[in-house]
Amino acid sequence: MTTADWTVTLIFYLLGGIALIASIVAVASKRILRAAVGLAVTLACTAGFYVLLGYDFLAGVQLLVYVGGIVVLIVYAIMLTSSMEYFETRSPTQRRIIGAIVAAIFLVVTVAAFRASEFTVTAMTVPPSDIAAGVGRLLLDQSGAGYLLPFEVISLLLLASVLGGVVIARSPKAAAADASPDIHAPHGTQVEETS
Amino acid sequence: MSLVPGLEHWFILSTLFFAIGLYGVLSRRSAVGVLIGVELMLNSTALNFVIFNRYLATPFLDGAVMMIFVIAVAAAEAVLAMAIFVQIFRSRHSVDISTMTEMRY
Repeated sequence: MTTADWTVTLIFYLLGGIALIASIVAVASKRILRAAVGLAVTLACTAGFYVLLGYDFLAGVQLLVYVGGIVVLIVYAIMLTSSMEYFETRSPTQRRIIGAIVAAIFLVVTVAAFRASEFTVTAMTVPPSDIAAGVGRLLLDQSGAGYLLPFEVISLLLLASVLGGVVIARSPKAAAADASPDIHAPHGTQVEETS
Repeated sequence: MSLVPGLEHWFILSTLFFAIGLYGVLSRRSAVGVLIGVELMLNSTALNFVIFNRYLATPFLDGAVMMIFVIAVAAAEAVLAMAIFVQIFRSRHSVDISTMTEMRY
């Protein structure tokens, strides 16, 4: 192994350790805001993994959308539901044990399935240098190899989720005010007459 | 750049993340905690796509595209989850999932 290999391995284990500890904090901490910080650290370490794998563009996407967007959204959810001062009451021990057993079984089965299957690792080439351009071309490719249709479906999904979020989170008062016939003709004429 | 930590190391790392997220989903009482677990699982899925793209199909970028799709789905899901939590909190003053039993049976 060369020095560069040693460095990559060292960074891999260092980042992996930090990310694993942070993700355990994210699922086990009683303070829910601390759990959100653990999630943010895990996601930032994942961006580091993308750099380590050679996909810098994906690391940027990860930091911008995941750490900058989704974690902020989760922190907002914590603040709006004021569970910030809310120490989560511990789940029943039985439920935690069952959760741990299911997770352990999942881990064992998945790793066993991985071990049992054959993978042909490609030659040690570097990934394409212009990842952003390559991803953009793939997203807009109309031929069978491209992802134009899924790309459009995803944009529809995002639009629908934004609209759905607005409609669901609206306060009942605002919804009632919108539904009331403000622009209804008889009602409006009455208001005009009285004024 | 060489492929020094082997495919197996990367795979076990991302599977560990998934298992930890699964434990969070199953054991949390606060709905926000469950959402955090789901985000961990989605993140490990995206990482898995990129790992397999790097090791099994280096010249192509399909795994990277799938990773961006996973992130978009995660964002959509987080938005809706937040809206639902806000509404549930408004009517029940708590987001404890063990008390949400109206839709049982």
